[in-house]
Amino acid sequence: MKKLIIPFLLLAVLVSAQPSFTGPMLAPPADTRPDTLRRAYHTRVDETLDWYLNAVDAAKPLTREQALVKLVRGQDATAVSQRIIELLSVPQSGDMFWMFPWTAMAFTGRDQLSPEARAAIREAWRTYFPMRGDTENHWVMYYASLFLMTELYPDDPGETWFNGKSSAENHAEAKGFLLHWMDLATTIGQGEFNATHYIGEYAIPMLYLAAWAEDPAMRQRGRMMLDLLMAELADNSLHGVLRGPNARTDDTSVLERWNALATYFSWAMYGHTPPPSGYGGWGIYFAVAAHHYQPPPLFHLIATDREFDREQHDHKRSRRRWRYSDVEMMPVYKTGYIRRDYAVGSYQGGVTDPIQAHVWDVTWREDDPRGVHNTMFSVHPHASARVLQMYFTEYPDWMIDLLASQGKPSYGVADKILGCSPYEQVFQDLDTVIALYAIAPGENFQRVNGFFSRNLRDVTEDASGWIFARGGNAYLAYRPLAPYTWDDLLGYRQLPRGDSGYVWERFRPEGPVDRILVSPHANNGTIVQAASADEFESFEAFQAAIRALPLEFTLEPRPTVKFTTLRGKKVAFTYGETPVVNGRPVDYARWKLFEGPHLNAELGSRKITISHGRQHRVLDFNTVTTSDYVTP
Amino acid sequence: MKASHFFRSAPALLLAVTLSAQPSFEGPAPVVTSVPAEDQRLAAYHARVDEVLQWRAGRVDLNNIPGTMDMASISILLTLGRDIEACNERVLQMMAEPGTGPFWMFPAVCVAFTGRELLSPEARASIREAWRTTRQLRGDTENHWVMYYASLYLMSELYPNEPAETWYTGRSSEENLAEAREWLIHWMDTTTTVGQGEFNTTHYIGEYAIPMLFMATWAKDPAMKQRGRMMLDWMFAELAAVSLNGVLRGPNARSDEGSVIERWNALASYFSWLLFGNTPAPQHYGGWGLYFAPMAKNYVLPEVIHRIAVERDGDYVQRDRARTRRFWRYSDVLSPPVYKTNYLRHDYAVGSTQGIVNDVIQAHVWDVTWREEDPRGKHPTMFSLHPHSSGRMMQAQFATHPEPMPVGVTFEGKPSYDSPDKVLGGSPYEKVFQDLDTVIALYDIAPGERFEHINGFFSKDLCDLTEDASGWIFARGGNAYLAYRPLAPYHWIPYLHYKGGWAKVRDDLGGQVLTSPHLKNGTIVQAAGADEFESFEAFKAAMRALPLEFKLEPVPSVRFTTLRGKNVAFTYGETPVVDGVPLDYAKWKLFEGPYLNAEVGGRKLTVTHGRLQRVLDFNTLTIKDSVRE
Amino acid sequence: MKLPRLLLPLFGLLAAVATATPAYDFYICANINRNYVIGSKIVTTNGIFQRTDEGGWRHFGYNDTSITAVAFDPRDRNVIYTTALNGLWRSLDGGATWRICNGWDMTEGREVAVDPNAPDHVYVAFTDGIAVSTDRAQTLVRREHGLPERGKFTQTIKVDHTRAGRVLAGCEVGIFLTEDGAQNWRRVHATTDTVNDLQQSPHDPKVWVAATQSAGALISRDGGLTWTPFSGVPTERALYNVTFDVTNPDRLAIGSWAHGVLTTEDGGKTWTSRNAGLPENPRVWRVGVDPAGRLYASVFQETLFHSDDFGRTWHPNDLAGSLVNYFFTLPKAAN
Repeated sequence: MKKLIIPFLLLAVLVSAQPSFTGPMLAPPADTRPDTLRRAYHTRVDETLDWYLNAVDAAKPLTREQALVKLVRGQDATAVSQRIIELLSVPQSGDMFWMFPWTAMAFTGRDQLSPEARAAIREAWRTYFPMRGDTENHWVMYYASLFLMTELYPDDPGETWFNGKSSAENHAEAKGFLLHWMDLATTIGQGEFNATHYIGEYAIPMLYLAAWAEDPAMRQRGRMMLDLLMAELADNSLHGVLRGPNARTDDTSVLERWNALATYFSWAMYGHTPPPSGYGGWGIYFAVAAHHYQPPPLFHLIATDREFDREQHDHKRSRRRWRYSDVEMMPVYKTGYIRRDYAVGSYQGGVTDPIQAHVWDVTWREDDPRGVHNTMFSVHPHASARVLQMYFTEYPDWMIDLLASQGKPSYGVADKILGCSPYEQVFQDLDTVIALYAIAPGENFQRVNGFFSRNLRDVTEDASGWIFARGGNAYLAYRPLAPYTWDDLLGYRQLPRGDSGYVWERFRPEGPVDRILVSPHANNGTIVQAASADEFESFEAFQAAIRALPLEFTLEPRPTVKFTTLRGKKVAFTYGETPVVNGRPVDYARWKLFEGPHLNAELGSRKITISHGRQHRVLDFNTVTTSDYVTP
Repeated sequence: MKASHFFRSAPALLLAVTLSAQPSFEGPAPVVTSVPAEDQRLAAYHARVDEVLQWRAGRVDLNNIPGTMDMASISILLTLGRDIEACNERVLQMMAEPGTGPFWMFPAVCVAFTGRELLSPEARASIREAWRTTRQLRGDTENHWVMYYASLYLMSELYPNEPAETWYTGRSSEENLAEAREWLIHWMDTTTTVGQGEFNTTHYIGEYAIPMLFMATWAKDPAMKQRGRMMLDWMFAELAAVSLNGVLRGPNARSDEGSVIERWNALASYFSWLLFGNTPAPQHYGGWGLYFAPMAKNYVLPEVIHRIAVERDGDYVQRDRARTRRFWRYSDVLSPPVYKTNYLRHDYAVGSTQGIVNDVIQAHVWDVTWREEDPRGKHPTMFSLHPHSSGRMMQAQFATHPEPMPVGVTFEGKPSYDSPDKVLGGSPYEKVFQDLDTVIALYDIAPGERFEHINGFFSKDLCDLTEDASGWIFARGGNAYLAYRPLAPYHWIPYLHYKGGWAKVRDDLGGQVLTSPHLKNGTIVQAAGADEFESFEAFKAAMRALPLEFKLEPVPSVRFTTLRGKNVAFTYGETPVVDGVPLDYAKWKLFEGPYLNAEVGGRKLTVTHGRLQRVLDFNTLTIKDSVRE
Repeated sequence: MKLPRLLLPLFGLLAAVATATPAYDFYICANINRNYVIGSKIVTTNGIFQRTDEGGWRHFGYNDTSITAVAFDPRDRNVIYTTALNGLWRSLDGGATWRICNGWDMTEGREVAVDPNAPDHVYVAFTDGIAVSTDRAQTLVRREHGLPERGKFTQTIKVDHTRAGRVLAGCEVGIFLTEDGAQNWRRVHATTDTVNDLQQSPHDPKVWVAATQSAGALISRDGGLTWTPFSGVPTERALYNVTFDVTNPDRLAIGSWAHGVLTTEDGGKTWTSRNAGLPENPRVWRVGVDPAGRLYASVFQETLFHSDDFGRTWHPNDLAGSLVNYFFTLPKAAN
């Protein structure tokens, strides 16, 4: 298989702006020998770099990314030096999104750039005041960059840094946070877990630490965290496509599941799905140092081996809650069930991130996922200033409007399909999901939105109350528990930015549109059962099997469901109560940090074992030790 | 800033590739420096790998394919994705006349794997067919078998499920694979419990490193892949720990006439250069080194090993165990234990075994080797030996009759074996004791042996050679002071240098051999750093003042207070005594020192430098990297 | 092609000696590889050669510089065994294809012998002992009970033609005998150095001779139970091999690097150096006698010589530069 890929890529680089994005679907290398994987990985990295170099226009000044890639390739150091001085001669912006690109520039150019250019970069860290931000990914970018830059300039006094702290002070503070964050992530889990976009904002700083940290322990920690991120991506992705649940996603990625920065990493690491347009934007900042990391072959096996069904239970945490909550961080209990043709994932509901969380879905496999909305789920379109205040420091009155201007256009609209709700509780057993809603009176909005993709086939509203559909090679059954109507889902189009930030308009996309099942009832629920087409003689046989499944439910006083799943499990789930399976309540207290065939870790252990077959990698953050072993 | 060294040199290196035939061989000696930044270390390593690839690829003349393309260059061109048609043509030519043993097998494996996606079906088929038609000798040495079985293993994996009649062995792919796997594991097991037989070899390190790299890169079985990686780490950690600025010195299970004198001029230096960047590359990258380069980027040297090679914490003693080559006969033990002592300092290193014929032809038992800023062309070493030549000893380790081999091997890359003035080889009549930088070598040569004298090597590069009235011979080598005490009368003969094992002529480059024609004999050598003394005269005075008693009858016996204040007593055939305590070889570990530690029988090596540690545990096939915070 | 099972093949030779065309096949294992080192391309033809009726040498089987001995299944000439550096090889099709019979735990085969009275049984001498197969070398097992832990370097192994499972082996520390198919060995004669060759007389199966490294040449007249030195054969240097003359019970020859060719024509009472016509100080590697009584001497990397007057005069034969490791005679195969 591999030999088909490389010549294609080599050819495509010549004829296409972005070969693997515009070309046919890629197959992962069948040959997982290290040299094959290494060459394929480097070919993909080089494609990313070449794409930027090929876009260089002699008539135009180099972009920051083009300048950086030229340094990576050892080209035109003089011109690049001059360009860097120009780029830094104007007021800077971008905060931590400014910090890590310039960290990459500083390290990549440290022995190529002119003294003047290096001095310009160094000076910018004195004169520009980047914000540290208010999210987990912001802090990781901020402190990883600060750690590295203060190692590069180790003995400089406070007045030479934007924050007035000496190199040693900054270094100590950065190290303190980075260790604290790694400690948290490896004991109770990441807050921004399985983010469709923000994975880059973790992977890139970790790569930089792995490549450039002088402190061997921090270098090792960077490598280990990168391993953890990439192994989790491999484990959670369906043929390279990261599906739900996601601590954070966006209005595009939540529907077109492939179209996310996470896909860039699936492509770059494992080569089994196309990269997004422009390599996801930030992807280039991974590519510039990617030669200093390579996922071990066992990660490839985890990413590409989908021949057996597997269930994974993980423990995560919510974003920090400053107020209006008994706990600083809500524990998140994640369930994933991945089969060859589809995957089902969820967490128990509730608010992890107030704006961009995605609680559950069934996502099916598409041979070519580009442009396909290959997912099904329902949400309560929740928009609440008070819940926002729980996580942010602002006053309530203007925050909802503010979000749209900050790039989150759907937050305050009734037909949104992105976000979580304090009034949604979810239970999953294998490929059955039950989502129950009890929306408090007066809350925005008094409805449940069910997402029905334009790419579903044979959508049938059955007299039984089930809605049947086919997605790829999966059969889907969706049971609304309350009356509903249908609306078309409009898109969001960005208008020229006004003084107060982003401006949006809704528009009807061309061609078939997605639909929303709108159920305007406060007490509500959704049951979804998925199956593979291979399991049934026909779609009708599947429908008959679903109709035959025992189901009882009530919505008053609270939604409650008793259902025998297609897999024969007797599940009982009442809003506000612990789900019961075959008479036994689910014991969330026993949830481990990771538990499944590929990733395993105890809560609080700081020790993750990543496995595939006979191959294992143990990441032990207690001793900053990576152990690779193979069972004979 | 330490890290800046590479980037000062790397662009220069890249530039040099275009200007110079072989920059790292012809250019200035590298500045030995620790490169803590992983990206810079990796970039420097890749730059060196690329230098090798470009150099060899650049010597290919497409108008003279047979004359300029061997299997190394084919593999390199395939790795670079260049001149594939020429590779196809040459593969077909070469596979029409295959070679017959491990030294053909592993290059053929290299071509088969680097070309498995690029070569034409015909070329690939010709490689496969050669493995059916041509008998492959397994050889009779440890390195032969490693090359043979690693090659057979990989080819059987590349062509699985093929019947017996398609292999020269008459065995199926599965049978070949099983046999190869079993032996490779047996060999690793032996090496990690009682030590390597061919330990610290100046040349043969390549014959181990290359097959292990191939295993690590190409083995399908993850366990074998892991074993390959682990053995590479094991060998390179040992190379790093016992080399002086990248130069591997004695003792060596096997060396050759060239390397034992011009210590740098060895294939081992290719690996030091490639992996550590701390010494110039040998000419033509040591020849076989070309087969490591195509896959070299699939191996990343662990930082802990890099630091051991280039960032020594100070003087250190490393005591290790190894074993001899197999004695088929005339020995009570199949592979008697070898006890190695190494003492490394900034300016010189002293190393020895206890004096044993670990390899009947090419062993080098002990020496003092001093540091030269540029070791090329230098003979920075001092030692003595009994020039032993014996058909019976040959018979002990080879299935041969007594007469043919002593002469026969002189045509097989061991030209000096039967020469009275030779400076290579061990002897059953030599016993050696070392404490720090003091060596006492005693000889009790049986009457009637072919050569009844001992040879002491005195390099052309020694300065201020002085035969002192006290009986000591003083000299300076680099920044080391040396004192050599012959225990019996001697005379001088010129030293004639073989460029290497296959050299046909001897050159008079200078240097002398101290020849002492007495059966009962001995040598004492004491080394010191010049910066320890106010002057060379002060060193001489200190040496003259050291208490020394010795006698040669009935057996050689020495009592000596070393420069380090140790009272040592050593009698031929008896256990050495230091400050009244007999040396207890039974307590010797497989590795014991600041950098390498392992128990005999443990299958587990701990490699340590500062806060970094890598544990190679063959019991659980685990590589464990940790950093102390 | 199948041959009738021959219980005493060599005795069968005697009857045929008188016939005009020798009714035997004569084989040698020869290497023609001056300065060959392992791994290099073999530029010469090496291995098993059969003497043709015209007196030339026909190579067959594989080209290998390390073959030390050859043996055939008396029932089927297509079943061939060779010992070589890799161990034991077997062909079931007259040498067209071969299989290596041993694993990594056996190496450097010194000699192979097939039991004519139990032809599935194959005995192999190795540098570190003895292995036996009871299934035509499909499987090999070590059978060393009674051999010393050290000192079992085995240079030569021969099967007594008169009794199944009776085998003599020449080892580092003496001559060892088994009478139960190598289940048990016992030392019948001690030496301080290797026993290099053992031969059973084709004229009287009770008579055996041995060539040793430092004990000269030995003779046993009781089937190998007791041994006495030949007087007149020097002992201070190694004797490489010894051979009977199938045409004359009083004739034996010894090959030696140091002494060249030594012959006796009175059953070993007196020995004579027979080197006239050979290179000066001939380094004789092996001697052999063909079924017609022609004596051959392989001189180390010179050539093969022959003598039709049992060593009085020598003439260069073919195979210049050769080293013959083994001479082997057996009844001529039917066409």
